[in-house]
Amino acid sequence: MDFLFQSILNGILAGCIYALFAMGLTLIYGVLNFVNFAHGELIMWGAYFLYFLMGKPFRLPLPIALIPALLLTIILGIGMDRFVFKPLRTANRLTLLIAALGLSFLLRNGAQLLWGAELRTYGFEIKRGLRILGISITLNQVAIILTSIFCIVFVYLLFHRSRLGKSMRAVSDNLELARVVGIDSKHTIQFAWVIASVLAGVGGILLALDTNLQPGMGLINLVKAFAATLLGGVGNIWGALLGGIIIGLAENLGVLVISPGYKDAIAFGIMVLLLLIRPSVLLGRLE
Amino acid sequence: MDLFLHLCVMIFIYIIFAMSLNLEVGYTGLFNFGHVAFFGIGAYTSALLTLQRVPFELSLLIALAMAGLWGFFISIPSLKLRGDYFGIVTLGFGEIIRMVFQNEVWLTKGPMGLPGIPKPVLFTYQFGTLPQYLLLTFGFAAITFLILRIILRSPFGRVLKAIREDEVAAETLGKNVFFFRIKSFVIGSLFAGLAGTLWGHYTTFISPGDFTLLETILVLLIVVLGGKGTQWGPVLGAFVLIFFQESLRFLRLPAEWTRYLAPLQQMIFGGLLIVLMIFRPEGLLKEKGRVSNAGN
Repeated sequence: MDFLFQSILNGILAGCIYALFAMGLTLIYGVLNFVNFAHGELIMWGAYFLYFLMGKPFRLPLPIALIPALLLTIILGIGMDRFVFKPLRTANRLTLLIAALGLSFLLRNGAQLLWGAELRTYGFEIKRGLRILGISITLNQVAIILTSIFCIVFVYLLFHRSRLGKSMRAVSDNLELARVVGIDSKHTIQFAWVIASVLAGVGGILLALDTNLQPGMGLINLVKAFAATLLGGVGNIWGALLGGIIIGLAENLGVLVISPGYKDAIAFGIMVLLLLIRPSVLLGRLE
Repeated sequence: MDLFLHLCVMIFIYIIFAMSLNLEVGYTGLFNFGHVAFFGIGAYTSALLTLQRVPFELSLLIALAMAGLWGFFISIPSLKLRGDYFGIVTLGFGEIIRMVFQNEVWLTKGPMGLPGIPKPVLFTYQFGTLPQYLLLTFGFAAITFLILRIILRSPFGRVLKAIREDEVAAETLGKNVFFFRIKSFVIGSLFAGLAGTLWGHYTTFISPGDFTLLETILVLLIVVLGGKGTQWGPVLGAFVLIFFQESLRFLRLPAEWTRYLAPLQQMIFGGLLIVLMIFRPEGLLKEKGRVSNAGN
């Protein structure tokens, strides 16, 4: 029984992280109307930026390294848009997506060039977790949950209570109309990239804290983020949270039944099932 | 000389692989980002069967059928939706299928791979040596080229292009867009399976690590560099890129370089895709008679 509760806790934990990925992905989708195939690489690079700043020669402690790591992730996100997606704003969708895929591959191998393909960690010792009601939870994990909740609440407030958030929603609803009423779409798009990059960076760092770093972590998390987005309905922040948690739970409970080798395949399975069962619903919300 | 023959064999295999993707990406406008999956399914199916002493003719047919069948299964849920979804589902499928190769140890021997795949025997003639294998791959590449030419010049091919250009218009003309797309995808998967089969029997050793995103990127790059939506584009693209890729392998470089060389080469592939898409999305050979830039 404890084992089950433990899996549920781990599932919620992973789910919070996936929710951060999904929110960023859905944000860019909403504003620019395409799936950013390189979103996974923002996640991966965010985690590696922190690794870089915590290692030689800087050796910054984690809380201090966090800020420059996220700044670098933002620069990467803005750079992506400026040099790859902006020149392709008016191009057809196939061209855009092929470029995004190329970018993803470029960045993934860039990380491999710098840090190699092997698994890495931030080098914290594994501490014994606190035991509460028979469930073990480490301080890291508490921090992960708190940080995710903070980010989610922050994004919610930003979207619904601030001018910038409102203009972002307006652009996402209808770009032309938003322009007509005088919303600076360029500015808004840039801001969307900042938020998406921060969410990806934070999520990547949390994930790496909980598990490890690897250049290939981007792609598989892109698929998970997309599955979570589909589950929750695109453009819906609470939906992304819910979708993320469902994926996280399904993964951690699923491995009790099927081989752990397929843990990463569960999100994909859910996605395909979802497309099979309710394509019309999805279509209605998205098109 | 052997190096030259090896290069040619690889080029012909990749021509088949690229032409099959071109049917989907170039002619039908499908965003298939997991083409390697079908290449892998073909390679593994035929390898497993011939290792059980099933004749090559039969295992080849079964390998093609398997690749086509999986193409069918994947396209059903995802082709009803818009392109991005299909792209991400195929991208995911490419990763998942590798997980299957890796985890189903009872069948595929997992990460150990399958060694000793026999050279193909077609109607008692064994394609054992390099020149013989070149003949085989050339033959299959020529057959594939001709079949795809016939398909694309038929009314069926014109409908595919119409769907690419304007889905709604095609639908209005009474064409069932969904089924045409599925057919195109299944045919493409089938020929990818053929390429995979030929590759597996050529290298005689396959393992899950051979079927990664790199293969998908490489074949996609071949198609868009050569010129998508043209018959000769993938041929040209395969000559240029496989020459580049394989000759790097034969430069006698110090071992410590290879750690950097592989990611660097792959970065070039990724970067080339971006640069091509921004500056010359039509590739080296431009599709004749295409005026619109739509094609969603």
